[in-house]
Amino acid sequence: MSEPSTYRRTQSTYRRILRRETHSPRSVLAITVAVVLILALLYLGTEIVLAMIGTRALLAAPLDMLDALAHLDDAPDGLVVGVGVGLLLIGALLIIGAATPGRRGRHQMSTERGLAVVDDEVIASALARHAAHAGDVDPDNTTVSVSRRVAGVHLVPTSGTRIRRDAVISTVAEQLEAFDLTPSLEPRIVVAERGRVGA
Amino acid sequence: MNNTNRVVNRVLVAVIGVIFLAVGAALVGIASIGAVRDPYVENARDVHGAVTGWLKSTTVAQTSIQWGWILVLAVIAVLVILLIVFVARQGHGHHGTLIREETSPTGTTVIDSSVAESAVQQDIDGNTDFLASRVSTYRVRGVSVLKVSVTCRRGVSPRSAVTVVQHSLTGLDALLGREIPALIQVSGGFRARVAPRTRTR
Repeated sequence: MSEPSTYRRTQSTYRRILRRETHSPRSVLAITVAVVLILALLYLGTEIVLAMIGTRALLAAPLDMLDALAHLDDAPDGLVVGVGVGLLLIGALLIIGAATPGRRGRHQMSTERGLAVVDDEVIASALARHAAHAGDVDPDNTTVSVSRRVAGVHLVPTSGTRIRRDAVISTVAEQLEAFDLTPSLEPRIVVAERGRVGA
Repeated sequence: MNNTNRVVNRVLVAVIGVIFLAVGAALVGIASIGAVRDPYVENARDVHGAVTGWLKSTTVAQTSIQWGWILVLAVIAVLVILLIVFVARQGHGHHGTLIREETSPTGTTVIDSSVAESAVQQDIDGNTDFLASRVSTYRVRGVSVLKVSVTCRRGVSPRSAVTVVQHSLTGLDALLGREIPALIQVSGGFRARVAPRTRTR
């Protein structure tokens, strides 16, 4: 069972899964585009059928549409430019959507068995809990934001008290080491200058 | 984890994007750039005449039906069907069989996915760190892969969540006598946000 070939196969499966779990499939965008296209095509089909049976068009008869396309220079320039700019914008957004990696807010966590993927949100809330406890800050005054490479911990002290900054730094570093994430997170701890009263 | 064809997703979006860019640029050009407008004015009428002429020439004798339009309708129908298939193809990839093996010349051993799914599910169900958990089996390039996704309560260390799941996977390995590839997914999400935070231990 555990011949080298099986091992390699499992590793390549894991690589594929990891990539798919950490990047967006762009399904929402693709489905939206497809649905809009379907609606537009159905509309066009309806107009053609209506024209064929000689009924009044919903908006414009197909022949009138062709005619308008051939006489764009007669239409008001402002309208044509407006529609053109709109299409340019939508086109640019679609191409950006298709070409960018679309990373999801997730990190890989080292494991002995299998593959583990953790939402950044979970990492952030665990760090917040530990940081608040270590710094003796109210959990409501602790915010943590996790991006691809940085874990930013923002603490607002209760006015009149001091935050044990060193304890926070070492606790956060300890947690991050235990998580052993890929890509690794660099802790960035910020203590607000002004405290909050009654917090 | 599912077998959505992501390349096709991106290609469709990119192709439509390019078409929009091209048409948009053409419209802006026609309306505001002389170098684009003049050749358009020169040719558009001719093309228009050719197209409408072709449509007229497709009139079926003694009727007012033009099969040119029917052709266009057919093309539209094909495109719509393709797009619907495309939308319906998103997702999928669940699999019902975990292991299938020719154990002897006369028979095959099949282990159903639900064996592993309920074994792991039951093992992690009682854990109070998890708001929800779900075990499912996917087929990834011909390999059955277990997916264990757990929703953590707020503040739960993802390390401990992963350790818990790993532990029950190791138990499953002992039960089956082999390692099934597995994905552990730890997520937060809406339920984690509204549920009470865990107490610091």
